[in-house]
Amino acid sequence: MFHISLSIFSQTRALENKIDLFHDKLIDATMTFKKAIRVYLEEGRSDSYRKLSKQIKLIEHDADGLRRDIENNLYTQNLIPDLRADVLQLVENLDKVINKFDEVTYKFYCERPEVPSEYHTRINELCDLSAECAENMAKASRAFFRDLSSVRDYSQKVYFIEHESDAASRKLSEAIFDSDLPLANKLQLGGFVNDIGDIADTAEDFIDSLLIFTIKRDV
Amino acid sequence: MDISFFIFLSSGLFLGWSLGASDASNIIGTAVGTKMVKFRTAAITASIFIILGAVYAGSGASQTLGHLGSINTLPGAFMSALAAALTIYWMVNLSMPISTSQAIVGAIIGWNFFASKPTDISVLTQIVSTWVFCPILSGFIAVSLYWLTRKIVCKSHLHLLRQDSYTRIGLILAGAFGAYALGANNIANVMGVFVPSSPLHAVSLPFGLHLSGTQVLFLIGGIAIGAGVITYSHKVINTVGNGIMRMSPLMAWVVVVAQSLVLFLFASQNLQHFLLSHGLPALPLVPVSSSQAVIGAVMGIGIAKGGRNLNWKLIGHIAVSWVSTPIIAALVCYISLFFLQNVFNLEVYQ
Repeated sequence: MFHISLSIFSQTRALENKIDLFHDKLIDATMTFKKAIRVYLEEGRSDSYRKLSKQIKLIEHDADGLRRDIENNLYTQNLIPDLRADVLQLVENLDKVINKFDEVTYKFYCERPEVPSEYHTRINELCDLSAECAENMAKASRAFFRDLSSVRDYSQKVYFIEHESDAASRKLSEAIFDSDLPLANKLQLGGFVNDIGDIADTAEDFIDSLLIFTIKRDV
Repeated sequence: MDISFFIFLSSGLFLGWSLGASDASNIIGTAVGTKMVKFRTAAITASIFIILGAVYAGSGASQTLGHLGSINTLPGAFMSALAAALTIYWMVNLSMPISTSQAIVGAIIGWNFFASKPTDISVLTQIVSTWVFCPILSGFIAVSLYWLTRKIVCKSHLHLLRQDSYTRIGLILAGAFGAYALGANNIANVMGVFVPSSPLHAVSLPFGLHLSGTQVLFLIGGIAIGAGVITYSHKVINTVGNGIMRMSPLMAWVVVVAQSLVLFLFASQNLQHFLLSHGLPALPLVPVSSSQAVIGAVMGIGIAKGGRNLNWKLIGHIAVSWVSTPIIAALVCYISLFFLQNVFNLEVYQ
């Protein structure tokens, strides 16, 4: 019995670490993303940008591995049977946000959009808002596992920042389409603005389901 | 020993098996229903502890039942147990988590009527009052435990997975305690009617263990209950585990602990002696219904949480079965005793 208990706890601890590590990867992705876009706007597709883009790819790859491990362990060890489906959905949705960071940085790398300098500050601000939204989403998700009472606080921040991000994204799109840029550039830049804003929207969707799961998880 | 004893005892064994099939759902149902513990693990653990509880702490409640009606012939005991068992078996097939205590009390009263023996009204009142008090007490204990557990869980900031592991271990321990309390409290329902006419003698076991004749009888009854748990309790578990209210594993733990405590309070002679020796009021040692206790606990938590998740229709069905069980058992017993006496010429009372 004692041996079985120890074995259960060591397996649980290993999985707890993996879930924590998965959240760390998400925070890493947000920080790297902000830095990468800043570098792109200043230097274009430089070596530094290339490195940062690869770094995000690596984070995304590691996160995929962790996600698969978490999912497998939850099923093979028959853990949290009543909440397993919810946790799997949470992990999948967190992974979607990491994938979005990777997609946007790769898109910049691949399409090499020309961004007029008058939009740099506003694009940086939009990136900061999206990244902050994702960061608070990660904190809310971490709280779901350890401290239910904090989930609501972080969720509220996500809702607030997403609202800001929406406003910033709309203003930036309007400014771009009101400019004298060729239509092709306008469409390309508009697409990038949408993609960056999408990160905050995905975080908001995540929080909607997280709050439902929190009610279910409550004792 | 006359082989006819074991033939007559068969109805008690059938009753024990029925009790295991129906009442095990109260101690392991929630754990298995929420998929926190495998049925096999829960059933084997419960069976072992039911036998231990029956053998080592079963005599208190059995004496009280003996005061209600001392069935003094083996054929009479056989038919009383069979009447209760048939009532339970029928109700179990309807997936009703019913009360074995009420079935056997109904059967004993049926025998009292048939044998024209007086029913001790003060004992009957004591037993019936526990039927009302038991779910209420269970509800209060459950609500207190629920708020305490909730507070501890919120303050401890345990990781969800760690909490899951602790809950599993807690459910197994609570199930073991519940099984011990069920064995101690409910063996009286199964074997109580056979105690006055049992020819079994004391036996000595290895390691200096010694069992009295009544304990040997209770051991046989305990094994029958265990067999019921392992072979047939899965069906009723599906009702109690998920039917009354959606329960989280932690709430399941609270429910099991609350009803186990109630069964233990109404069964433990040691606890009764301890309370009396300290000048405290003690509860009577009466076989109570584990179904009533578990439903009291679930309802208590449900009401404390606002009562929105309660399945009132199912609770109504259960309440109907509480009233109908003793009446059906008494009628079945009375009619069966008539046949046993007049068709088979067996002496059903002295």
